[in-house]
Amino acid sequence: MRYLPTAAAEDRALLDAIGANRAEDLLTGVPDHLKLHRALDLPATSSELEVLREMERLAGLNTRFAASFLGAGAYAHFIPSAIDHQISRQEWFTAYTPYQPEISQGTLQHIFEYQTLVCDLTGLDMTNASLYDGGTSCLEAALMAVRVQKKRAKVLVSSGLHPHYLAVIRAGFAAHEELKLVEVALKDGVTDPVDLAAKLDETVAAVLVGYPNFLGAVEDIKVLSDLAHAKGALLISVTQEAMAFGWLQAPGKAGADMACGEAMSFGNSTNFGGPYLGFLAVKDAFKREIPGRVVGQTHDLDGRTGYVLTLTAREQHIRRDKATSNICSNQGLIALRANIFLQLAGPEGLKGLAEQNVAKAQYLRERLLELPDWDVPFEAPYFNEFVLHHTGDIATMNEALIAEGILPGLDLTPYGHKNCVLWCATELNTRTQIEHLIEVLARVASVVG
Amino acid sequence: MSLRSREPLIFDRSVPGKVGLDLPKLDVPLPKDTRPAHLKRTSFDALPSCSEPDVIRHFTKLSLWNYGLDQGMYPLGSCTMKHNPRLNEKVAAIPGFADSHPMAPDATVQGNLALIYTLQEWLKEITGLAGVTLQPSAGAAGELTGVMLIRAYHVSRGGKRRVILIPDSAHGTNPATAAMAGYDVVDVASAADGTVSFEDITDAVTGRVKKGLLSVIAEYKEDIAGLMVTNPNTLGIFEHRIDEICKRIHEVGGLVYMDGANMNALVGVARPGDFGIDAMHMNLHKTMSTPHGGGGPGAGPVLCTAALEPFLPKPVVVRDTVKVGEGEVPHHTYRWNWDRPQSIGKVHTYFGNFGMLVRALTYCLSHGGDGLRDATLRAIVNANYIRKELEGIYNLPIKTATMHEVVFNDANQTKNDVSTLDIAKRLIDYGFHPPTIYFPTIVHGSLMIEPTESESKEELDAFIDAMKLIAKESEENPDLLHQAPVTAPLRRMDETTAARKPVLRWTKAPV
Repeated sequence: MRYLPTAAAEDRALLDAIGANRAEDLLTGVPDHLKLHRALDLPATSSELEVLREMERLAGLNTRFAASFLGAGAYAHFIPSAIDHQISRQEWFTAYTPYQPEISQGTLQHIFEYQTLVCDLTGLDMTNASLYDGGTSCLEAALMAVRVQKKRAKVLVSSGLHPHYLAVIRAGFAAHEELKLVEVALKDGVTDPVDLAAKLDETVAAVLVGYPNFLGAVEDIKVLSDLAHAKGALLISVTQEAMAFGWLQAPGKAGADMACGEAMSFGNSTNFGGPYLGFLAVKDAFKREIPGRVVGQTHDLDGRTGYVLTLTAREQHIRRDKATSNICSNQGLIALRANIFLQLAGPEGLKGLAEQNVAKAQYLRERLLELPDWDVPFEAPYFNEFVLHHTGDIATMNEALIAEGILPGLDLTPYGHKNCVLWCATELNTRTQIEHLIEVLARVASVVG
Repeated sequence: MSLRSREPLIFDRSVPGKVGLDLPKLDVPLPKDTRPAHLKRTSFDALPSCSEPDVIRHFTKLSLWNYGLDQGMYPLGSCTMKHNPRLNEKVAAIPGFADSHPMAPDATVQGNLALIYTLQEWLKEITGLAGVTLQPSAGAAGELTGVMLIRAYHVSRGGKRRVILIPDSAHGTNPATAAMAGYDVVDVASAADGTVSFEDITDAVTGRVKKGLLSVIAEYKEDIAGLMVTNPNTLGIFEHRIDEICKRIHEVGGLVYMDGANMNALVGVARPGDFGIDAMHMNLHKTMSTPHGGGGPGAGPVLCTAALEPFLPKPVVVRDTVKVGEGEVPHHTYRWNWDRPQSIGKVHTYFGNFGMLVRALTYCLSHGGDGLRDATLRAIVNANYIRKELEGIYNLPIKTATMHEVVFNDANQTKNDVSTLDIAKRLIDYGFHPPTIYFPTIVHGSLMIEPTESESKEELDAFIDAMKLIAKESEENPDLLHQAPVTAPLRRMDETTAARKPVLRWTKAPV
């Protein structure tokens, strides 16, 4: 087996040194009746070539699309070539969590820079080394809000939050009888301020609102945070499309006390949903309650600047059942992809990309509305995603689009918005692709009509 | 290392006007600005302006301050730093996988669903358990999922149980997880050999009595939701009475969760399902060698019994057999099943860290059932070789049979005022990553060494020589060890200042 380095003679030498006849003799700690007395019922060792062929066969069973108009929390963006080259360095991808700072300064300084950029994008004071993904970042943020807001055990969640994020929060809250989760209704695609005001009281720890929300709409988090703050609740903005930070005001500068969400858009493929990049940024006052790894600046014995994992008194290996979370890994390599992406993009690149996303989405929407079977369910500012209502049959449409190599937008019918489709366009969508989409839709409309 | 000092922060390299990413020409009309005025992005305070060569050079220089697995042995106990096959990286990058979308219709992602189904079948056979989810993102997320399954099981039976038992040798994530899942944690004492003690243990020094499994069960009885146990435990020792532990917990209606962080010591040799385990996780980033990435991403699939299967996170992948004509081989199609009324819900936004699942299945197919067992046995041989060569030179506090990792401590060195930390730091000077130190906490000053199956005899010998040399230095010149490391980019770091006066991001110097 090509990954096992010892030759037969060396095996013998190792066993002789130990004083064992066979490797199996070393299993004295495992009672015989608990051993597996047969071979695993699995295929045998395969060569690299055979395995590659099998995995290529599996990959080939997936449909490759020439164009995609699907987002809904997973966004296809351009990935600069430098990223894959850089993260393939063994110093980055094979290393462990930086427990030994003297020989982990690369990872530690990268995380320090990444933390700086997340703070810049969110307009908040501090963040951690990343969380698993958007959904789990919401759960961690909600649990953190309850810790910070002692004696307040209710969390309000806008119905405009990504439904899967809501499902993750709901699952995590189910274990805590003392915690309550209440949904706030939408009106015209955004959180209804009247319903929010009605549900806010002195028991509410925090309000979670999408920014932009699952329907692509830009929530006015200034208005919503004013309402929350008036009752002493925190406003947590949840961003599922981090590219929007190039266009929208930093949530921390628009009233949010905490910001969490998904940053896979920075330098990652859609990867069937993971690995992605959860983030959580908070005000300085909450820094000792944040979950996960945190990197801080310090110096060595000779006074040279360096970086270490810090504020560890919050964490599971010290505090055990009193820790701020059970999390111990982060999404280190995905955070590295995001860090490289952001450093390449810079302020001009990020703003420019964000504007192109807005331009493509606006063009797509205009063109769709020229067709006879699309109309507007609500008007709200949007970034690169928006909802249109379809008077035709969505299944028929999807079939036609897939046959043409186009991945359609998301049918929102199962998510409570009957006959609505969530369309997404990014800088990857060319005018030609959009025109092709419109052409196919026009054809479907004329056949059906 | 170089005449130049450390690579500065990128923010100190930023020069306005530089770009590292050129925008494509816009082929649609310029957008209308629809934002409310107060929601327009005003400025960036840190985002740097750099060219592509600036950024590549920056990260390449930073990378050189890291120690990686391809440079030498990385014997972090319990972390399982085994070789990361390059094929796995190549396969995960195949566009058919990498560009697939989690919200795409099932019919268009049949390859992904088949991959998930296949990996699940491998894990079921390896663990001897009937149910599986690949959704949890990491080991800790797997633990949380497992304990949530246990809770859902009890709730479905109308039970209200309050307590999770955890041996005091457990990793910190176990108690943190139990608390996160709403349970109170009750410690169970460890016996002298580090395994779960059935009887109470009296501390020889303090006289304090720590309760063993039997008295804890007697005390909490029907209030016990379950027990979390790591097997092999954090000392690399197999819980030889694991079936008896499961039986005792089952007798009071509780369930047993196994932390499978050390499953790489059991694959092909023994199966948790055969011990009586009800639920467990595996760390694919340990046992199946998906790269650690400087802290993640990981993957922590959870396996469980048929009784717990209805509670698994949703959706679950289903394989349908398509009947064809006479004499033809039937083929399969796959779909997500969301209709799972008893499910605990979701523990990840989508289906888990799919890219890591691709790598794990590639690892499994490469090894095959036989190769997986070989890897287990070789990891055990390597750990025992290190134990044999270093025992006596370093104190071996617990002499029970070693599986895949061995725990020494600094008891032989403390007389020269040399500590575990000093030994670890000196290893850096000899070109090795230090072992896990000061964990498990039940051994004072522990040095937890896990060589994995990837190390050759030459590399093991080089490590053993370095350890022997350090022991010698501790006798002859302990100050060498106190000063270590001296060859690393930096010397020992001031962690106290970092925590007391936290500087957690760069800020622009005031003008």
